[in-house]
Amino acid sequence: MPGGVESMKGEKRMIYSKISFEAAPFSYELEFEDRITLVGGDSGTGKTVLYEILEDIRLTEEYSSIKLFNYKTDNFLEAIKKCRDNFIVIDNADILIDDDVRRFINFEFSNQYMLFLRNCDGLNVSDRSFKVLKFDNNRITLEEEV
Amino acid sequence: MIDIYTQKKKSKDWILQNDLYFNLNTSNEQMSQKEINLIQRIDEAKLTPDKHIETKYGLGTIRNLSSGCKTLLNIVKHPDKVVCVEECGPNVLKIIFTMDNIKIYMSRPTLVDIPDEAQIRFNNSDIVIGSRGYNAWWSREYERREEDDL
Repeated sequence: MPGGVESMKGEKRMIYSKISFEAAPFSYELEFEDRITLVGGDSGTGKTVLYEILEDIRLTEEYSSIKLFNYKTDNFLEAIKKCRDNFIVIDNADILIDDDVRRFINFEFSNQYMLFLRNCDGLNVSDRSFKVLKFDNNRITLEEEV
Repeated sequence: MIDIYTQKKKSKDWILQNDLYFNLNTSNEQMSQKEINLIQRIDEAKLTPDKHIETKYGLGTIRNLSSGCKTLLNIVKHPDKVVCVEECGPNVLKIIFTMDNIKIYMSRPTLVDIPDEAQIRFNNSDIVIGSRGYNAWWSREYERREEDDL
């Protein structure tokens, strides 16, 4: 569902309120409730696996707004600052993002963000931002982090 | 003693990029049964002698382990290094705080079970004991940061 949800002020806030796809044998149904989603939880719950699947998914027309960044990205700061109207996914975010990037995320409202990040200091997040990946019978969803 | 450093430093004795360090170095080292058990415990991954892994996500190689698991193995295999643990989930941190003679970097406190007898030294200076000492140290640190407007 590209485009979509807008705020009261008319700012485009959500690029995708839901991302769903099959990646056999898994089925992903990821729902987003805030323009910034932090995916945390235990290590080994499949965050990087999801990131790697998104490398293919973003090549489809439906999800072409997805931009991916991880520790292998060249010129990360320069590259992310060029993003507009994108769904930005950052793996290894705890070691990648600094105060400058946090400011960009807070104030560049045209983008939506899914950050594999534990330290939320300095980010304008809400209680709907904190999620964990839940694996149930090969169905993978984003659930509220308790 | 667990040495915790709270200020980031670029040094050859520090591992800040755990995935990269693991992929280039630690993954090529021999894994002991204890380390194989840690891999099973954290990632529920079965490591074969030729460094393939089998997880619920499928087959891969040791380089497909999670960042948290790689961090833990970097610590175990390189106790002389200061290892950044900022990417570790609670399941990995819980194990780290049961270890001894290790050096880690964390810039903020984390909610984790720390054994009552754990000896922790912050920044080569203050020594505290257990979760009570850990939490009290971070409270003071945050007061200091507030005073310094950090």
